[in-house]
Amino acid sequence: MTTTTAETAPAPRKQGESLWSKAARKLLRDRWGMTSLVIVLVYLGIALGVWAGLWGQDWNTLTPTINAEASAEHWFGTNRNGQDIFERSIFSTKTAFEIGLVVAVLSTVLGAIMGAISGFFAGRWPDEIILWLKGVLDSIPFYLFVAAVAFALQGYAFSMHVAMVATFWTTTARLVRAEVIRLKGFEFVEAAHALGVPEWQIISRHIIPNTTHILLVQATITFVSAIKSEVILSFLGLGVKNGVSWGLMISESTNEVTTGFFNNFLAASVFLFVLVMAFNMFSDALQDAFDPKKT
Amino acid sequence: MDTLQYALRKLVTGIPLVLGVTFISFVLMVYFGPDKTYELIGKNATPEQIAEIRSQLGYDEPFFVRYADYLRQLVTLEFGYSDSTGERVSRILTRTIPVSLALTLPGFVLGNVLAVVLALVAGFYRGGLIDRAIMAGAVVGMSISFLIIIIGFQVLLSSSYGINYFPVRGWEVYSLADYLYYVTVPTLAIVFVSLGYNTRFYRAVIVEEMNRDHVRTARAFGTPPIKLLFRNVLRNAAIPIITRIMFSIPLVVISGSLLIESYFGIPGVGKVTYDAITTGDQPILKAVVGATAVLFVLTLIATDVMYKVIDPRVSLK
Repeated sequence: MTTTTAETAPAPRKQGESLWSKAARKLLRDRWGMTSLVIVLVYLGIALGVWAGLWGQDWNTLTPTINAEASAEHWFGTNRNGQDIFERSIFSTKTAFEIGLVVAVLSTVLGAIMGAISGFFAGRWPDEIILWLKGVLDSIPFYLFVAAVAFALQGYAFSMHVAMVATFWTTTARLVRAEVIRLKGFEFVEAAHALGVPEWQIISRHIIPNTTHILLVQATITFVSAIKSEVILSFLGLGVKNGVSWGLMISESTNEVTTGFFNNFLAASVFLFVLVMAFNMFSDALQDAFDPKKT
Repeated sequence: MDTLQYALRKLVTGIPLVLGVTFISFVLMVYFGPDKTYELIGKNATPEQIAEIRSQLGYDEPFFVRYADYLRQLVTLEFGYSDSTGERVSRILTRTIPVSLALTLPGFVLGNVLAVVLALVAGFYRGGLIDRAIMAGAVVGMSISFLIIIIGFQVLLSSSYGINYFPVRGWEVYSLADYLYYVTVPTLAIVFVSLGYNTRFYRAVIVEEMNRDHVRTARAFGTPPIKLLFRNVLRNAAIPIITRIMFSIPLVVISGSLLIESYFGIPGVGKVTYDAITTGDQPILKAVVGATAVLFVLTLIATDVMYKVIDPRVSLK
């Protein structure tokens, strides 16, 4: 795998260019893709700052000013407990990244392993079992499943993450399986077989690395699904338990919008919308960059 | 006759799936689920009373007996009585499912029809300004959370901060006018939330079809656009479109109505399920999960059979 940096990327197309350097070149040329990447990185910076304790630490501080309008002191005003909405929005960025990253990484890893095994042994019993498991998980309604997991894990803070990973890996696995079945017919896999490389090593060294572009795109999609699901789950009372999230802010605001106080709702919605939108656009740009049919 | 045989064979392959779903949901919801014993007995109960309640709830039976019991309930459609209201679960379902269907169906149909139309337009002008505008709109639509859409429409349509024409919540439907009055805001929300995803998916399918040689030939022969899109493109793109529609039915009815109904306070199956989740009403949860799994498998089979009807090239193997 070649590593291509920004300086060499715009160079004219050369013979035998790798998938990755070509993708990097295409991505760097994609104006919308780069813009969205910058936005995502800004959010990541905010989240890292919260994590490092630089800002967003006063999200839980109660002040006597309740439902205040935006002012120099409280940039987005305060909610009905007198908590600063701006601080809460900032802190929620960290919550969103925590959920998004944990769920995206774990479900991508799980999906990659399951998909690779399933594709490699296509038509044999490991494949049958994994396909059956996928079918089973896909036919349980998502919110019911999360609720059930939440109950089974009895208030354990990560029950939401577990439930999301358990349901989100299936899509990744399906895509990886199809790709692995395609790869299996290639000469390099045949050669590895002929050389007597053990099967698990063929899977881990030769097949999974060739699906990383699918995994990368799929991870961005899972990230978006995770933070979107968090909003709904928190509203239903099945999501974030300690701390604050955009979902909790929006569900708080359902009582406020009817009385004409929109700050909480707007702040959380805009923060959420911009991140999801940027991530969606970045995900599209990645997909286009890896698509050999597009120049 | 072949088709019937095919459907029956598919039905047999659906059995392990139903067993899996019921088993997982049983383990999660019932075996690890909340213990209702102490909610049902009074204070200072004797050990005998506790034992009696536990045997009433079936807690003293071994695991597999309880699971087998659940399967028997599923086959006979007799799920016992709700823990919280004491009403028969089958009656609750027959009362609430029609409400949910009436609530979600218009949005579901409109969301798909509009998406197909938009996708056809975008696909026809692909690469052009109209296409780019539609696709940008789709990404924006995909990025707005369902909850934000619901709250937004509620503020705009049902409160004094908007046009204040529709009810904030509730469902008191006795006539067509009532129905339209209560169904409009939820329908708009459902259409809005599904439109982005659907349009993108259908456009990809349609563009793929537009690139085929037979479409180019038809175009070269001067087939009018409408005829081209409907006869040459849409008919061939029907299989992926129908698959998507079919597969979203069971999940839209349950998951979609869960949020809409609990937000708008509409007494459908989603609201009942939500209440059952929060109160740990296991008979209802068991019934809903089991019924959804069966519905899902039936949909799977129906889709396969439908392929055969639409596309004679699909073999019955």
